[in-house]
Amino acid sequence: MRHYEVMVILDPQLDERTVAPSLDNLLGVVKQQSGSIEKVEVWGRRRLSYEINKHVEGIYAVVDVICEPATIAELDRQLSLNETVLRIKVMRRDPGTTVRRGAA
Amino acid sequence: MAKPPVRKPKKKICIFCKDKDLEIDYKDTVLLRKYISDRGKIRARRVTGNCSQHQRDVAVAVKNSREVALLPYTSTAR
Repeated sequence: MRHYEVMVILDPQLDERTVAPSLDNLLGVVKQQSGSIEKVEVWGRRRLSYEINKHVEGIYAVVDVICEPATIAELDRQLSLNETVLRIKVMRRDPGTTVRRGAA
Repeated sequence: MAKPPVRKPKKKICIFCKDKDLEIDYKDTVLLRKYISDRGKIRARRVTGNCSQHQRDVAVAVKNSREVALLPYTSTAR
């Protein structure tokens, strides 16, 4: 089991209130495959530094997940297929690998 | 003949070496903003005064930050 940090940028047309439930929905695989969600942080609407798919804004969310590498690969695949997700970034956050080594 | 004044390079200490608690995180845009120019380019080590290890960490963090649109790849100032 490994600790991952997943940053998700969602479509700004989504209602702010529906963000949390839809995130839960997206993260379904983690629970199914016996991983655990440590922390969900919704940053809310933010201006993007550059346009992504013609959007100037995005809803940011940072999720801390502990799961198997295969699970995170599946999560990554599912999120990339979802059209409400503008961008995803998965980072390893293991205590063993320091932030700077793990960041590469 | 006027001699050009000898410039003594001021030895800068890497702020990340000095402050061990300061973490370089791709989400910390306030910190990373200090290490990019107003055009969005990463500042050189001779400008920032970071040590090579931390300069690399900063560069990686800026690049990660760009991927999630927290920092610009280019900003068209001027």
